[in-house]
Amino acid sequence: MATPGGPRPRNFPPNYNPNALANNLQNLQVSQPNQQHSSNLGGNAPRPPNTTPFGQQPPSFAGSRPGPPPPGVFPRGPVPPSVQAQTTLPPNMVSTRPTGPPMGSQPPPPFASRPPPPGALPSSIGGHSALGSRPGPFSSSPLPSGPSAPSYTNTSGPVGNGPPAFASGMIQNGPRFPPGVGSMPRPAVGPPQSPTLLSSGPSSHPPQMRPGFGGLNSGASSTMGQPGPPFSGPPQNMPPPLGSMPFSAPVPGMLQSSGSPYGMQTWPPHPQQMVPPPPTAGPMQQQPMFGMPPPPPLPNQSMALSQTGQSKIDPNQIPRLAPSSTVILHETRQENQANPPPPATSDYIVKDTGNCSPRYMRCTINQIPCTVDLLSTSAMQLALLVQPLALSHPSEEPIQVVDFGESGPVRCSRCKGYINPFMKFIDQGRRFICNLCGFTDETPRDYHCNLGPDGRRRDAYERPELCRGTVEFVASKEYMVRDPMPAVFFFLIDVSMNAIQTGATAAACSAINQVIADLPDGPQTMVGIATFDSTVHFYSLKRALQQPLMLIVPDIQDVYTPLQSDVIVQLAECRQHLEILLESIPSMFQNNRTADSAFGAAVKAAFLSMKSTGGKLLVFQSVLPSVGIGSLSSREAEGRSNASAGEKEALKLLQPVDKTLKTMAIEFAEYQVCVDLFITTQTYVDIASLSVVPRTTGGQVYYYYPFSALCDSAKLYNDLRWNVTRPQGFEAVMRVRCSQGIQVQEYSGNFCKRIPTDVDLPAIDCDKTIMVSLKHDDKLQEGSECAFQCALLYTTVYGQRRIRVSTLSLSCTNTLSNMFRSADLDTQFACILKQAANEIPSAPPAQVRDQATNVCINILFAYRKFCATVSSNGQLILPEALRLLPLYALALLKSNGLRSDGRLDDRSFWINHVSPLPTPLVIPLVYPRMIAIHDLEEKASDDSVIPTTIPLLSENLTDEGIYLLENGEDCLIYVASSVDPNILQQMFGISSVEEISNQFILQQYDNSLSKKLNAIVNEIRRQRSSYLRLRLCRKGDSSGMLFFSYMVEDKTPSGLSYVEFLVHIHRLIQTKMA
Amino acid sequence: MAAPELAQTDPEGIEGVRMTWLKWPRSKVEASKCVIPIAASIQPIRPHVDLQILPYAPLRCKTCSSVLNPFCRVDFTALIWICPFCFQRNQFPPHYSSLSQTNVPAELYPNYPSVEYVLHNYQQNYQNPAVAATPASPIYLFVLDTCMIEEELSFAKSALNRAIGMLPENAMVGFISYGTQVQVHELGFSEMSKVYVFRGSKELSKDQVLEQLGIGVSSARRQGIQKGGGGGPSPVAGAGPVSGITRFLLPASDCEYTLNTLLDELSTDQWPVAPGNRALRCTGVALSVAAGLLGASMAGTGARIIALVGGPCTEGPGAIVSKDLSDPVRSHKDLDKDAAPFFKKAVHFYDELGKQLVSQGHVLDVFASALDQVGIAEMKVAIEKTGGLVVLAESFGHSVFKDSFKQIFENGEQSLGLSFNGSLEINCSKDIKVQGIIGPCTSLDKKGPAVASTVIGQGNTTAWKMCGLDKNTCLTVFFDVSSSEKSDPAGMSPELYIQFLTSYQSSDGQMRLRVTTVSRQWVDSTLGNEDLIQGFDQEVAAVVVARLASYKMEMEEGFDATRWIDRNLIRLCSKFGDYRKDDPTSFTLNPCFSLFPQFMFNLRRSQFVQVFNNSPDETAYFRILLNRETISNAAVMIQPSLISYALNTLPGPALLDVQSIAADRILLLDSYFSVVIFHGMTVAQWRNMGYQNQPEHVGFAYLLQAPQDDAQLIIRERFPVPRLVVCDQHGSQARFLLAKLNPSATYSNQHEIMNAGSDIIFTDDVSLQVFIDHLQRLAVQAS
Repeated sequence: MATPGGPRPRNFPPNYNPNALANNLQNLQVSQPNQQHSSNLGGNAPRPPNTTPFGQQPPSFAGSRPGPPPPGVFPRGPVPPSVQAQTTLPPNMVSTRPTGPPMGSQPPPPFASRPPPPGALPSSIGGHSALGSRPGPFSSSPLPSGPSAPSYTNTSGPVGNGPPAFASGMIQNGPRFPPGVGSMPRPAVGPPQSPTLLSSGPSSHPPQMRPGFGGLNSGASSTMGQPGPPFSGPPQNMPPPLGSMPFSAPVPGMLQSSGSPYGMQTWPPHPQQMVPPPPTAGPMQQQPMFGMPPPPPLPNQSMALSQTGQSKIDPNQIPRLAPSSTVILHETRQENQANPPPPATSDYIVKDTGNCSPRYMRCTINQIPCTVDLLSTSAMQLALLVQPLALSHPSEEPIQVVDFGESGPVRCSRCKGYINPFMKFIDQGRRFICNLCGFTDETPRDYHCNLGPDGRRRDAYERPELCRGTVEFVASKEYMVRDPMPAVFFFLIDVSMNAIQTGATAAACSAINQVIADLPDGPQTMVGIATFDSTVHFYSLKRALQQPLMLIVPDIQDVYTPLQSDVIVQLAECRQHLEILLESIPSMFQNNRTADSAFGAAVKAAFLSMKSTGGKLLVFQSVLPSVGIGSLSSREAEGRSNASAGEKEALKLLQPVDKTLKTMAIEFAEYQVCVDLFITTQTYVDIASLSVVPRTTGGQVYYYYPFSALCDSAKLYNDLRWNVTRPQGFEAVMRVRCSQGIQVQEYSGNFCKRIPTDVDLPAIDCDKTIMVSLKHDDKLQEGSECAFQCALLYTTVYGQRRIRVSTLSLSCTNTLSNMFRSADLDTQFACILKQAANEIPSAPPAQVRDQATNVCINILFAYRKFCATVSSNGQLILPEALRLLPLYALALLKSNGLRSDGRLDDRSFWINHVSPLPTPLVIPLVYPRMIAIHDLEEKASDDSVIPTTIPLLSENLTDEGIYLLENGEDCLIYVASSVDPNILQQMFGISSVEEISNQFILQQYDNSLSKKLNAIVNEIRRQRSSYLRLRLCRKGDSSGMLFFSYMVEDKTPSGLSYVEFLVHIHRLIQTKMA
Repeated sequence: MAAPELAQTDPEGIEGVRMTWLKWPRSKVEASKCVIPIAASIQPIRPHVDLQILPYAPLRCKTCSSVLNPFCRVDFTALIWICPFCFQRNQFPPHYSSLSQTNVPAELYPNYPSVEYVLHNYQQNYQNPAVAATPASPIYLFVLDTCMIEEELSFAKSALNRAIGMLPENAMVGFISYGTQVQVHELGFSEMSKVYVFRGSKELSKDQVLEQLGIGVSSARRQGIQKGGGGGPSPVAGAGPVSGITRFLLPASDCEYTLNTLLDELSTDQWPVAPGNRALRCTGVALSVAAGLLGASMAGTGARIIALVGGPCTEGPGAIVSKDLSDPVRSHKDLDKDAAPFFKKAVHFYDELGKQLVSQGHVLDVFASALDQVGIAEMKVAIEKTGGLVVLAESFGHSVFKDSFKQIFENGEQSLGLSFNGSLEINCSKDIKVQGIIGPCTSLDKKGPAVASTVIGQGNTTAWKMCGLDKNTCLTVFFDVSSSEKSDPAGMSPELYIQFLTSYQSSDGQMRLRVTTVSRQWVDSTLGNEDLIQGFDQEVAAVVVARLASYKMEMEEGFDATRWIDRNLIRLCSKFGDYRKDDPTSFTLNPCFSLFPQFMFNLRRSQFVQVFNNSPDETAYFRILLNRETISNAAVMIQPSLISYALNTLPGPALLDVQSIAADRILLLDSYFSVVIFHGMTVAQWRNMGYQNQPEHVGFAYLLQAPQDDAQLIIRERFPVPRLVVCDQHGSQARFLLAKLNPSATYSNQHEIMNAGSDIIFTDDVSLQVFIDHLQRLAVQAS
């Protein structure tokens, strides 16, 4: 790393490239920087000395970083890696090289194309093959552009050698890296094993960021560097750290990007990441992370901001999120130690080597403090985010299913923990010690196996439950109180006047009609349907009938199901009836003059008809429920007229109006009925009250406001489709067990809790996350490991009863710096967010905001006080792992839920949306991704489909630009005032900004710009597993306001700018220090 | 029938009125000494060939509003008539100006004590002129139980199919099916079959039903918001607050196809029945929903709820038994011991339902077909109050049900003359009070000077409502003589007058008013019994006693009907018999009374008094019919008729005695509810050997055929259709005959009497002879 340090000034450009492009650059060989890069990379390489490994690695790297965009979500396994690699390149390139033109134009297309071919997973599989594949892709279209791009970056000017160079270059470079880098990292980090660090990710980002902003990297950087002084801290620190310690926080000033410090770090990390996959990733980063082994290493620090420096602070240099574009290859355990997971938002491929994949369970801190004191000193919280059915990366190994037969899985007889790789077999394998409660059990006779010389069972590697962090057991009879339930889908559609007239009914019917084909096949799938206005209308779909029979339940105070059978019928038997019915419902009710909606009664009635089986109840609701059980009043209006009533009254509006729906929901949950709410409305519907039902039953709320049949139908369909087709389970029970010394304090998410230890989930799917907060009840031993086991007993859509068990074993530490080093930013922030969301309905907004800020400040303060080695007053010192915490905290303060000026329903929806939100989606929600799309033609082709992101700062928006911003839920496209009409025409089919209407549908026109835009949007949809509500915005009207409300780094009337916020925090910390 | 004297062809005559006493004792004391109460049995709308239909409005007395009648004194010169009831002088209106001694209107003809007016817009016109012009079509609301086996349901469905085909085109039809829940079918919804479902376990008020069906007041209040029927045609504008009901009730011609398809697809109730349990059947709620639905129809529209019930109500209000099969349905014994936990509640429920229907003017008909009881005993109150029909059968496939059901919808000669919205008013001379009516009607609580202080049946009024009535409907009016003995003996006329005013909506929709004015004579019983005796109508008296006994059995706890009958009989005999004190052999009875003891003997043994042989449902059924049938039919119920057929003799009445059984005879027993053809042993053997098929034995064939033909005659005339039992001597079915015969030959005396081919009855019951002997003894010794 010494080299890196030195090089910086010049390096930057190169460095960036290298990191990102790694392979490509190498391939290119063109630029000198490459070598450096190579050296960096080498860091990783050292171990892998083999040529082959490299080959493999590179792809993996690529994959990991760029991952997010293309490969991340959807692409098939093979594709991603290669793609990623390529993709990475472009981003990096771009970022590093400010030069928009060359890069943009050529690269984009190629990259895009590439991804698919490379498919082969390099990481796990033979590197060679991977390499081979790459060339292929490149060669195809990308080659020309692709190469050029990288080359540019590296060298700066040169272009186009690309294609051939790549292939060869790659390989050659590969080897090189090892040497150079290798030396670096190792020294720094004792244990090279842990490869990818969070830091790495971030670091890489900064560079990228810069390019976007500054336009000229080098220029900017230099200038930056100067201003840097204010940051004085960094530069000084930087050099030393870099040299000696790979990780040490980079110095902002120095680097081009303020982030430079980060950037610096990044670099190292990148290489590491790249390297790590194969052997053990980058040493450098690892060190800090793993801290443990290398005792001394300082935790990562980041720069401080001096207050005085404020004015000079270049917003571009402060810590920012920068998506890495490579795919990270992550082994969950290495060297018999937990390997800290890559950032949740990054693209990674997990190899389960004992611990469960971080997709299923991540901890806020990857080393568990031994004592509660230590934990409280750190001010961080200890919690798990559990997403038991999370989607895996296509190239990951599928979860193995283990069938123990009648006897069921082996379990600890005391704590009932499931057998896992950390159960220690002793006494010739005759007994085993539970890693959770410490109890010694007899090994069941037929499970006995002798121990090998290493003290492990000889069959440990043959039995998935003994070598994998996540396995799925086939549940025996003992786990069934009844036969596993069939997959029941019950659709409940609002047909009141409003719903009919806005087209919501028609949209729902058509969506359902299309989705029927996607429902799981087989005799286990049952469907039912009902409509409601001021009465509830069921339909008997029995095959024998010539036509469906409509059954009306008119008593909406005290409902019941109109038939015992025939309301819910096997799909195979009623498909025709169902289709006819769905087609006729909108016309049948087209003259409906009933404005009332008996939502509560309808849901209850539907529930009663599903009671015997349980299942999913999908409700399409359009207006405020006005009659029958659980009817609501327009509290919003009352609230408004009552504005003077004070905050308490205002808060009440965010709470359910009464317990009726809650009581109902608990009953639903008891009978395994899960309610999903699709709210297609133009008005206030009191989501605060309604959402209790889905929330308690493991469902979720979909909110289309204001609903437009034109634009939202497609999203409705896609949401519904994903809802029924995504991996999911029914009648589930979940429990998390912890090693002695730690216990579960609380679960939070969308579920029903009847007994303190278990979580009842009428349904659970891949998008649902549960936060599990933990507490100490005893001291842990340093050097020991603390395990967490999440067991989810559920029924698959095909009616099999399964137990998914994920085990995560983390080492314990007594050292505060280790904790900071191993802190998981995404997870921590997710916890902060969820807690804040939970607080909103019960505390005044200001208080919630203060709390969120304080959490952030306390952590930074603890770090500053106990870990930071540099203690200049003028510096704001951030732990490397958590350096983005302030940014996210600021974004959180400005989020929908915490803004008190938002619509009530919007806020309530936000609160609900957050509750089960998976970790990878948490950050985009508060800090959306913004990209420029007006210049797609120019920069496009780097590698990833999705161009580099831009910080959410309105300064970054130009008058000629078109920007796309997405947060996983909404997607806003902002068209600035003087956009080239040509572009408008090509993209949206309109000729001027004035033609922008509220009703926007993204269409694909026959031009490359439009195609690219569509490709981008589709890619985002894939990544987010969400169709996104698209909206066109322009300056000067409400849509524009909406868009600008997402510019969280801006100064707003009610909030600080990012820089100000940093200063604000810094001041508070100083106050505390004093 | 063994009473040739009574075989007059038309004892009721044009009046349709028969009284226990033709001549009335003057005082209350005297009346009570007569033992048999003064009562009139009236058939308010009995058809008669001579009945005059007057197309104009009746003239009413200014003060008592009785109608002009032949007994009014008319002053032809002054054009004044004097009301015989209140002696008010009334001026004839101008259009009677041509009135003269030789030119009198029909209502003044002395031989037309009954006339019928056709009312045009009468009463209604100021309320609802538009409607009155075109008489509202009758509504038939079918309520079908679906908790039965497939086969039974298909019988019921085909019966309904046929019925719908027979309905007049303008009849409005609605359909409700029920099982565990009630399904109200919206026949007017074209897109698909649509039903409103009500839970069977919850009692609903009329308003709730209407509101939930979207035709309630509250929904009307919501200004044209028509709920539920979102898809249906928009409500007909201007049809008033009840427009929504047209969604459920459609003209038969419009919905016949819909209904037939609907019936085709209708299956048995889908709710599961746990083993060991009865099906959950919510008859009560179904009926109250039906009543509620009809509540939205136009006031004054004739409507009937025709319920086809296949089992006991086990769910919701009106339940009569728990769903657990191990709890049997209540028996008389349970009722006696107050061990029927559901009974009182259910009766109360149906009582309320009856009140609601009466206030709406609608009828409840129940057709029950089940092997077990279905709850007629509880429903009786609602059926009777509304004047509904009831038929009890054991299967929907049985002719008792099938043919009876068909009869309701028949036209012309066969028609039952089902009419709606009847009301009866009674005007009577001073000193006559009305105690009440036993029969299918409801008191309207119209108070007046003629209201007696004691109440029998529906009393405390001089006006009654009969939501449903037909040409056979018969009411028993109990009179009391006022004790105002002293009231100006001088001016006392020897005549008494009673006027029955029956207004009703005939089956063709016309409003009619039947005015029947009868005159009877006062007798001064102090002058001797002769006049009274001559005026005694034994048949009526027997029926009245039977009705009164039934009524008392229901109303009075611990009432011992047998004792009561005996005591009355003895008192009667001692008062009107000729005898020497304490000399039983000297006892003789005037022919006018001669049959009465035998009637009483048979009454004591009948199903009306000996209830323990029957289920409460059967008893209720019998009583309903006893109360609503004509005197002659009721008499047959009490004392069946027996006709004997033999070779070489003409068929003739036979003694209702076991000794009438002979091996070579065929007996035809008509006990009203069943008609038994009983083949003597020999006849049965001949028949079995097929002699009737041999040409040389054609006479035997005729013999076999004759009772069959006669039975068919009886059956055709009767509603409900009686059960036809064809049996042979010593066959198991022979019990239907034996149970009705006088047990003059039993196992205890068989040796004395046994003659060839006869039979004995295994019973300890006394025979008629023994009964009479005792009676004589007691009558003469009584002081």
